[in-house]
Amino acid sequence: MLKFEKRENIPLHLRILIPLISILLGVLIGGIAVMFSQVNPLTVYKAIFIGAFGSTYVFSETIVVAIPLLLISVGLILVFKMNYWNIGAYGQYIMGAIFCTYFALNSAETMSRPILLMMMCIAGMVGGALWALIPAALKAYWKVNEVITTLLLNYIALYILKFLMYGPWRNPRSFGFPLTKIFDLNAQLPKLISHTRIHLGLIFGIIAAIIIWIIIKKTKFGYEIRVIGENEIAARYAGINIAKNIILAMIISGGLAGLAGMAQISGIIHMLQIEINPDYGYTAIIVAWLSGLNALTAMIVSFFLGGLFAGASQIQITMKVPIGIVGLIESSILFFLLGGAILTNYKLYYKGRKII
Amino acid sequence: MGAIVLQVKNISKHFPGVLANDHINFDLRKGEIHTLLGENGAGKTTLMNILDGIYYPDEGEIYLNGKKVDIRSPFEATKNGIGMIHQHFMLVDTLTVLENVVLGLESQGFYLNKKKIAERIKEISQNYNLNINPYAKIWQLSVGEQQRVEIIKTLFRGAKILIMDEPTAVLTPQEADTLFKILRRMIKEDKSIIFISHKLDEVMKISDRITVLRKGKLVGTVDKKEIKQKELAKMMVGREVLFRLDRNPIRRKGEVLKIEDLETHNDKGIIILRGINFSLPGGEIFGLAGVSGNGQTELAEVIVGLRRAIAGKVYIKGEEVTNLCPKAITKEGTNYIPPDRLKVGLVPNLSTVENAILRRYDREPISRGIFLNYEEAAKYTRELIKQFNIMVPRENAPVKFLSGGNLQKLILAREIREEPALLIAVHPSRGLDVGATEFVRKKLLEERDQGVAILLISEDLEELLMISDRIGVIYEGKIVGMVDIDDANINEIGLMMAGVHKNPLLKGEENVKV
Repeated sequence: MLKFEKRENIPLHLRILIPLISILLGVLIGGIAVMFSQVNPLTVYKAIFIGAFGSTYVFSETIVVAIPLLLISVGLILVFKMNYWNIGAYGQYIMGAIFCTYFALNSAETMSRPILLMMMCIAGMVGGALWALIPAALKAYWKVNEVITTLLLNYIALYILKFLMYGPWRNPRSFGFPLTKIFDLNAQLPKLISHTRIHLGLIFGIIAAIIIWIIIKKTKFGYEIRVIGENEIAARYAGINIAKNIILAMIISGGLAGLAGMAQISGIIHMLQIEINPDYGYTAIIVAWLSGLNALTAMIVSFFLGGLFAGASQIQITMKVPIGIVGLIESSILFFLLGGAILTNYKLYYKGRKII
Repeated sequence: MGAIVLQVKNISKHFPGVLANDHINFDLRKGEIHTLLGENGAGKTTLMNILDGIYYPDEGEIYLNGKKVDIRSPFEATKNGIGMIHQHFMLVDTLTVLENVVLGLESQGFYLNKKKIAERIKEISQNYNLNINPYAKIWQLSVGEQQRVEIIKTLFRGAKILIMDEPTAVLTPQEADTLFKILRRMIKEDKSIIFISHKLDEVMKISDRITVLRKGKLVGTVDKKEIKQKELAKMMVGREVLFRLDRNPIRRKGEVLKIEDLETHNDKGIIILRGINFSLPGGEIFGLAGVSGNGQTELAEVIVGLRRAIAGKVYIKGEEVTNLCPKAITKEGTNYIPPDRLKVGLVPNLSTVENAILRRYDREPISRGIFLNYEEAAKYTRELIKQFNIMVPRENAPVKFLSGGNLQKLILAREIREEPALLIAVHPSRGLDVGATEFVRKKLLEERDQGVAILLISEDLEELLMISDRIGVIYEGKIVGMVDIDDANINEIGLMMAGVHKNPLLKGEENVKV
């Protein structure tokens, strides 16, 4: 019979093997789904790989996707470290996009480009942070479960966006489409590399990852977060102000998701519309987990999942395989990753013999 | 008295490092209430878990109505007519009484015949005056009622032998009286009951026979009518030779802690402290004795700010600190050695260094602006390790890999280094080996000599007698007696812990009302 025994420490090989096997199993499940489209999965994965890393252009597109993933995931890492499950990056991202659009639409003529972009960055972060502050305060002062509140606020954010796009912010010259006018050049984030869509947001992401890493490893704030996450009773015993930490960490987490939303519309889409890829807010949860809640590792993982996205949008065009496959692969990876956690926490015995 | 229905012969059970049951013999007659009496850790619950099939004994036999049985799971225990009611109820809050009763029953088909089951529940309920509505949801019921649902569950399954593990621990005195009436009614119907307790007064009230266990060994079985409460206390606590640590004469100075009419709730929302009053000067160890669950850990938590007082006041060095946050109270010079090392005192997955600085990470030199100075933190940790002789193989490895003794030394070091005016230590030597125990006790005495006021909360009477200067006894949320160490008598304190008499302890036989 199968028997589980609690593990004292997690051996290094398992720490590497479990994410790798999770990715492989996710890819395997995606492959089975691809077979239903009567396409050879190997051809599809090859195409995804080439579509993600095969040329300078597609490589740059991979980085374009990695930017919002990185910005959001490092913020999530901070709150996940304290066992606060922010599922609301989706909504915080939307609110960031909405807040910065206000300046893009109203101040493009009156402000110089650096000032306007700075205002838009701040507005994006404030938008995301305010949206994160609601569930943070509910949790800190009334112990309301954050999984529910952050998730439900996503829908509210989406409907606020829809309201603005069908109502006050719709461009009268868009033939009825729910779009704003295209942002003035002043309101567009500068490109880092010409002939690609890679924009300044990449630098934001890298700086954010480094700052979050420093916060967690080197500061008192990071220390308090780790103590709360590992043992909340001990945190209370040590006199750590838990409410203050929840609120501060969520302001940072929401602020980064908001900045990601700002970077996406200012750097890539150049207008506000209904489809602004807020799903990055969910994908970033997977990035955070795959990177083992390490902000530096998140840089590599964002790049990998960015490649999956970019490659898949290529195969959708060339092979008629639905892009939904990516979502399937991603969620299977997360599923196996969370399932694999049982092996990092427990030893497994079968008929008295240790298997793993 | 009826025939023997259950007999336990030479049962032994080892756990790593402990012999929980050492060749225990025990029998139960039809229609009797047989109490298992003993201190915490005496092995009562282990023995009962063996009867209920949760543990399997290493040695020994169980006979039911003269026939040898092999009980390997609670399910088999039920089939043999044994039902156990645990201290923590096994009920699903959101389901009804009826649903809880049938939960896990194999005899039910896919559809529940609710009407029939409800009738049977009502019948049982009436028969034993249990007064339970089968359609009530568990969360709507009081603790006493929930316990009666557990009784219905076992009776519904046809139990002839009921095991009740400290059933009164969660009840108010009135609820306990109701329970006793129900139990008496049950034995009239030829059920047999094993009653586990360490409260002597209720044991004397309800039992027919009493079996006393101490440290896993059988002390003896006695008839209630042939024994006095005092003698029972002696049997329970034992009369091991007391060994005393050398200590300097006491030098009391200035009041450090003062508690006035303090009241609080426990985690279940029941009032657990009912008006505590005492005062503690510097340089004294005040030992608070009591059976667990009488409010002592809650008292410590209220003082250090981890639990809210609902009435009364706490003063530290003359300043009122009632219901301040833990940080503010620590600033007033209070440090705390909690009862549960890895759950409260330490963060198991963080390193020794990160645990060592829990009290001073936000003070210089370990704090440097918004940053932590890990070099200073490591330096400080090494100081503690050296000074308190803590065995730490790798100071950056998770602290959970240290032994219990080293964990406790680390907490002790961290708290003492804060140079408190008041040190609260709850079960400071619980689960430690002899060497570590002695180390902890000596350190507490050293602190006392330095003029620190120490509140020592322990269930270990020997420990209290060994290092306290004064001993108070807490029972049902009140201090029922207070005695200077030179006048202390272990048997009398044991009696008071068991709630036998509630007057301040005085010397001489005449004050012991049994």
